[in-house]
Amino acid sequence: MMEEVNLFNDINWAVIAPILVIQGILIIVAIIDLIRIDKTNGPKWMWGLIVILINIIGPIIYFIFGRRND
Amino acid sequence: MQWWTLFQKELIENVRNVKWIWVPLIMILIAIMDPLTNYYLPQIIEAVGGMPEGAEVQLPEYQPDDVVMMSLGQFSTIGVLTIALISMGTIAGERNSGVSELILVKPVSYMNYITAKWASLALLVLTAFALGMAASWYYINILYGDLSFGALLQVLFFYGLWLTLVISLSIFYNTLFKTPGIVAFLTLATIILMGLITTIFSHVLEWSPNYMSDYIQQMLITGSVPGELIGTAGVTIILVILLVFGSASIFKNKELAG
Repeated sequence: MMEEVNLFNDINWAVIAPILVIQGILIIVAIIDLIRIDKTNGPKWMWGLIVILINIIGPIIYFIFGRRND
Repeated sequence: MQWWTLFQKELIENVRNVKWIWVPLIMILIAIMDPLTNYYLPQIIEAVGGMPEGAEVQLPEYQPDDVVMMSLGQFSTIGVLTIALISMGTIAGERNSGVSELILVKPVSYMNYITAKWASLALLVLTAFALGMAASWYYINILYGDLSFGALLQVLFFYGLWLTLVISLSIFYNTLFKTPGIVAFLTLATIILMGLITTIFSHVLEWSPNYMSDYIQQMLITGSVPGELIGTAGVTIILVILLVFGSASIFKNKELAG
């Protein structure tokens, strides 16, 4: 337990914050896009789960494979 | 001007399909992942249970130029994969859906069509790459030590050329095949094959584009631009021009035949 506390203090959160922010933006943009888009490759709810549940990679898989271009 | 109109159409399309948001973000993640994990490696080892009693591992001390190479290393794998995936449908997809026929039924020159596609893709990828390296540079200066802005610009220029070659390859295969998956596969396969050929014939192919990152590392260590880097840059530019012109003429013949 002591070690964990130390670990959290050791990490400079100003350094890690940008990654969390980028991750957040990716998820939000993917969700908004998913709501607005007419059709996806495969069911929409599946892509919703992928975007929310898979860290970082989820939104990217959606952008590359989930979107249908027209 | 016709070219400008086509170019704007491409830009708007990439804004609408949110590529202008996620491609820069993913490039930033790619660039900063390795520098950060290596910096926090001691804490990470500690967090997953620590070293066994008595074991001691000397973690290397990284210099700023080592860290630049870490970021470039990620770009040459995940970055290139991302580029191949985002560009695989840019022409092939339009030909499948019939959009390209809608455009080309008008008196649009094939050269303009191809170069507008190429330029918009290059602008997107190079901007994203520059943002990624800027983020990496920021962390290098905070966590590892000084790296001059001039060195960053040199890295951006020379590695940007290599990425431009990847884009040109993808555009080239886009004009040859209609299936996006094949385009992405051949782009990646060509790059891997180029790497193999470069390794096998390393004594004759001193200016192979695959050596770009090796020479960039040399440049960062010595602080001056090695002659081989200039040669490699020249070869890369020539290959890019050949590929773009080749794509335009193949595309013209294919469309006229089809």
